[in-house]
Amino acid sequence: MDEQYIKIGSVEELLQSLQSPGAVILCGGTDLVVKMRKGLLSAKTLLDISDLDQLREIRQERGCIEIGAAVSFSQIIEEAIIREQIPILAMGLRKLGSTQIRNRGTIGGNLVNASPAADSAIPLLLLDAEVVIADSTGERRVQLEDFLCGPGKTVLKQGEFLSGIRVPIPDPEFSSFFHKVGRRKALTIAIASLGALLRMKDDAIDEIRLAAGSVAPAPIRLHPVETLLAGRRVTPQSVEQARNIIRQCISPITDLRATADYRYQVIADLLARLLLTMPN
Amino acid sequence: MKISFTLNGKQILVEADEETRLLDLLREDLHHTGTKEGCGEGECGACTVLIDGRAVNSCLVLAPQVDGKELLTIEGLSQSVSLSSADQGDECRLHPIQRAFAEKGAVQCGFCTPGFIMSTYALLLKNSNPTDEQILTALEGNLCRCTGYLKILEAVRYAAELMRGNK
Ligand code: FES
Ligand code: FES
Repeated sequence: MDEQYIKIGSVEELLQSLQSPGAVILCGGTDLVVKMRKGLLSAKTLLDISDLDQLREIRQERGCIEIGAAVSFSQIIEEAIIREQIPILAMGLRKLGSTQIRNRGTIGGNLVNASPAADSAIPLLLLDAEVVIADSTGERRVQLEDFLCGPGKTVLKQGEFLSGIRVPIPDPEFSSFFHKVGRRKALTIAIASLGALLRMKDDAIDEIRLAAGSVAPAPIRLHPVETLLAGRRVTPQSVEQARNIIRQCISPITDLRATADYRYQVIADLLARLLLTMPN
Repeated sequence: MKISFTLNGKQILVEADEETRLLDLLREDLHHTGTKEGCGEGECGACTVLIDGRAVNSCLVLAPQVDGKELLTIEGLSQSVSLSSADQGDECRLHPIQRAFAEKGAVQCGFCTPGFIMSTYALLLKNSNPTDEQILTALEGNLCRCTGYLKILEAVRYAAELMRGNK
């Protein structure tokens, strides 16, 4: 290891430094430092954005909350506007890592890593969040769903960086669900996780949004299940149909944490549990 | 490169390689060996220290990242009360959290203890009367292979009591 280290002081400096080949952005370090030590990272220059104040703000802006890429999970969970207006985000992030990890790890880092198990992606997918990508020519926005392409893959191009996330504030009528199955409560990489936003109307499901992690190359929205359930009552039949459809939406693999079969089973069970325990 | 920060209340300036971890800077260069390395991957919490009042895994922080920050390690806890009364001389007085861990038998081999104590300190800094659930959340990033955790939980409750009484 003989990386060069630069503490980045401004977005302009970051854009400039990103031009040099082998430049990698470092922030909380919770994933990167481990990868570096395992020799899994070929970086020539580390650009440390952990003190870049421009990327460390949470702002509310006409129906949206914008979270800078370098905001830590703890900062998000503690923020009153997040807890009040997008409780599903605080709820999901509380299950991520441990206190120490949440104090260092950042929302931008978690998304850019693009782990199929990325915990922060589940609530953000449910919220129809957009990521804001910047380069020297300006900004572009991409739906998070389109941003994540597969394990470790995103649509970020050379010279670009993720500057923040825009989260539309959801209807306060939504109830939030987030279930994560792992070997241990804290610090676990999910075997499977399922999140939902749900609104009922006259005993039937008015709108449901569903997202799952660790059961496909990237965390995904489960649109076919959402469509199936919208407007329906929760009955043994509709639950059974939803269980069948959800299996068709996912493509889990067998790895050292669990088998693909187990994941099929768990995700269907999580969905059934969610539907059968929801408030009327 | 040169790094300057506050370590346990003292301003220091050190020279470190850019890819040195904070953990190694503390242990190897500054000889503060109370901070332990268990896993080196953020799983065990034995390396927990406070940066600007928050508990972090020092195995996941690069040394240059603490430039300009305020650090507290386990050495700083005992120290912070050791000089408080003249008749104690040089003797190192334990911090109430350390006392609580010792008195409640929350220490067996002791390898995990500095980490648990730093996580406890960070919790009690913000919340002087935590619920059991809040204690468990604060400690979820710390592993102990010996105690079975119940004595640790007891010790944290007792430490909170001691510290409330001391104020
Ligand atoms: S050594 Fe840092 S968490 Fe285990
Ligand atoms: S006392 Fe031995 S690991 Fe905790």
